[in-house]
Amino acid sequence: MTANAPRKKIRLTPGGIALFIFFTWFILACLILPNLNLLKTVFFADGAFSVEPIMKLLKSKRAMKALGNSFILGPTLSITVGFVGISLVLLTEYFDIKGAKILRLGYMTTLIYGGITLVSGYKFIYGNGGFLTKALLQVFPNMNPSWFTGYWAVLFVMTFSCTSNHMIFLRNAMRAVDFQTVEAARNMGAGQFYILRRVVLPVLKPSLFAVTILTFITGLSAMSAPLLVGGTEFQTINPMIKTFADTTSSKDLAALLSLVLGLATMLLLFVMTQIEKRGHYMSVSKVKTKIIKQKISNPVVNVIAHIYAYVLFVIYVVPVVLIVLFSFTDSKAIGTRTLTLSAFTLDNYKYLLQSVSNFRPFLVSICYSALAAVIVGAIVVIACRYIQKHRNRLTSSVLEYSLMIPWLLPTTMIALGLMMAFNVRRIYMFYQVLTGTMIILLICYVIIKLPFTMRMTKAAFFSLDDALEDAAKNLGASGLYTFRRVIFPVILPTVMAIAALNFNGLLSDYDASAFLYHPLNPTLGVQIKSLTNDMNNPNGMALTFIYAVLMMIISTVVLYLVYGRGDSKFKE
Amino acid sequence: MINLTDIEVKFGDFTALEDINIHVKEGQFYTFLGPSGCGKTTTLRTITGFITPVKGRVVVKGKDITDTPVEKRNIGMVFQNYALFPTMSVYENIAFGLRVNKVEKGELDRRVHEMAAKVELSETQLARKVAELSGGQQQRVAIARALVNNPAIICLDEPLSNLDAKLRVQLRGELKEMQKNFGITTVYVTHDQEEALTLSDCIAVFNNGRIEQIGTPNEIYNHSKTEFVCNFIGDINKLQPALLRELSAQTGAAFAPDKASYLRLERVHVNMPATEGFARFPAVITNREYYGLYIKYTLSLCGQTIRAIEKNDGTKYFKAGEQVTASIRPDDLMVY
Repeated sequence: MTANAPRKKIRLTPGGIALFIFFTWFILACLILPNLNLLKTVFFADGAFSVEPIMKLLKSKRAMKALGNSFILGPTLSITVGFVGISLVLLTEYFDIKGAKILRLGYMTTLIYGGITLVSGYKFIYGNGGFLTKALLQVFPNMNPSWFTGYWAVLFVMTFSCTSNHMIFLRNAMRAVDFQTVEAARNMGAGQFYILRRVVLPVLKPSLFAVTILTFITGLSAMSAPLLVGGTEFQTINPMIKTFADTTSSKDLAALLSLVLGLATMLLLFVMTQIEKRGHYMSVSKVKTKIIKQKISNPVVNVIAHIYAYVLFVIYVVPVVLIVLFSFTDSKAIGTRTLTLSAFTLDNYKYLLQSVSNFRPFLVSICYSALAAVIVGAIVVIACRYIQKHRNRLTSSVLEYSLMIPWLLPTTMIALGLMMAFNVRRIYMFYQVLTGTMIILLICYVIIKLPFTMRMTKAAFFSLDDALEDAAKNLGASGLYTFRRVIFPVILPTVMAIAALNFNGLLSDYDASAFLYHPLNPTLGVQIKSLTNDMNNPNGMALTFIYAVLMMIISTVVLYLVYGRGDSKFKE
Repeated sequence: MINLTDIEVKFGDFTALEDINIHVKEGQFYTFLGPSGCGKTTTLRTITGFITPVKGRVVVKGKDITDTPVEKRNIGMVFQNYALFPTMSVYENIAFGLRVNKVEKGELDRRVHEMAAKVELSETQLARKVAELSGGQQQRVAIARALVNNPAIICLDEPLSNLDAKLRVQLRGELKEMQKNFGITTVYVTHDQEEALTLSDCIAVFNNGRIEQIGTPNEIYNHSKTEFVCNFIGDINKLQPALLRELSAQTGAAFAPDKASYLRLERVHVNMPATEGFARFPAVITNREYYGLYIKYTLSLCGQTIRAIEKNDGTKYFKAGEQVTASIRPDDLMVY
């Protein structure tokens, strides 16, 4: 549509008015007002402007330490994850490493389990009484059995758990490299590492910047890793927010800390958008040639690269393998971390299925995730349809940007905002107190999944051929009919795929549910966290492992459905 | 200059090239022509060193380079997609090979500018990103980049195939002009027969990993050695036994009716005055295609259809259904 094209008149239909009212309410009540309320809690606690909470924060040693820790973790994590992430991509996509397919599967395990599950897996191996710790103690009897704690432990766990973005985005960028440029450089006499440095890596630079900033943000808003392996001396902002939010007297501090985190996130995302604006390097080729794996010509370097690749593989795969194996062992084996053939049993699974209280968190999380995925999908599809049809309207822009607000805010801030806004009766929530009810977590899940869903769905809508709609209209179909019979079926696979990914992401959520879960119906994340607190309770550990295995199975199935099949819209 | 002897290339069990023998003379514009998958690019990549043959030798200027790695060969190459480095400016793209060879800075700058001038790239264009250039300019960057190291040979792999028709013709001219000016031995790969005929001093026609014919454009076109070549190059009529018998009867030539016999479209003459050595056939125009430069007629004669083209010079213009005569000279037939 050109700028001069006549604007379509919006016809006022009852449905249209209802949607307008819904979106206005939703944006105000769920996306804007709770966050403004958070600001108010901090700076206008007694009705007048006050910077007292800031003073309180500056005086709180714990809070300041946590802030400092987060700002140490963010940058260092960017470096370590960057190094490992680039290694993974080069080892699986660029260099000719024997067994690259198996290696790739190992490196991708972070896609099927993460957050609290992953950290508990690492803790099981490296923590006090852990698998590796026990082995190490036999060699070095005098070492501290709680060695795996603090900054280094958090950095280690997060370094290997935060490479998913590299394995998706950086890997795609690598596969988009035009192989003819590599050949051209060779043809002009360039050596292997010269080509890597001068031709290949520069093409990856924009993607690398983006994933680095995402890693930085992940480091800042770390939750599970510091909680489980940070120990007392290394707590970061998010766990601190959680601690402060649990006591009434320090709620303002929690809110302020979440504002700091939000501000830092916004700043980093701003930097990222500026970098993205500079654009990706578009290959000038019309037809790209696929990368042919480069055999490392120096034999010594080649051997070192292979060893490095397999060490990484072991680090990635061992927690997964042990979780799966130990989920089939009796409590004695779990308690002593010893695997014997006689210890294998299906009792844990029977135990889970027989006891409703054990199965309940799983069910709760499945229901929450499925509901949230469907609701957010529906909201976004309707919004995108409006935006697509009225591209040049102000209302379209307002709608689009409003639904993207949660992108700027850390999950903890959104959760805290909802919690503090709806613990009293508000006119915009129809005088209902939501804090402590089942619905508030659902609202939070919908909100945090809005931006991703919005981006992907909009892309699907805008890649539609306009001629489709014109053709339907030309044949006499109404707008709604066209949408139902023509447009929606075309985008349905994408919408389903996004819903599946959202479902996956929410299933093991801890960050939001830590604040908003219903005490009688804890989510899986909350349950795992409480079980992991007591690593020496074998029955609890067994349950954690089973949860983890079930989640991995579900995630694998979902990922297969979304990415694995040939007709997938998400491929590259 | 370049000698390929008994080259054989295999990809696993598949034999991509067999029995390839080519001799390219110094300064020649040599074209590998054939349909896709015929082995022409594979042969080119064997010369540049991206592919190592299982059998046979590659000799350049008397030196056996069969086992020399790509980066040591100093054979310039222009890729199908140009393979320009998207992260570098035009200047850096051209300078790349010089930097790899650690050419001193002042010398490097001089040579980049000299080469840019030769391919008519301006100072402002040198500072641009390659994505900002048009297709034609990108091609010139690719050529400049390939030539800046002063290679003895330049290889071009279908450099015009991604361009639109008009630009192809224009760049074809520029390419030939440049090759003449540089005087560089050029090996050119294309599936476009018109490109091959207009550009080349010598053409090797490939089919299924073997060479069908090597010759000048005129030899390839007018004296196609195999049935494949005469069918692949240009439009052609296949003559049926009835017509061949009639032709033999009229002219005394002894054409075997069962042999594959072909005749080019421009060698069929409509309503030409009776001429010595030509056989004449009564025919009916069944269709007419108007091309502007020429007109293509479909004729029905001796129970078969024959196509003919006539220059659109205003002297002849036939309608469908019109009775005409078609003149054919036996010498113009290609028989296999």
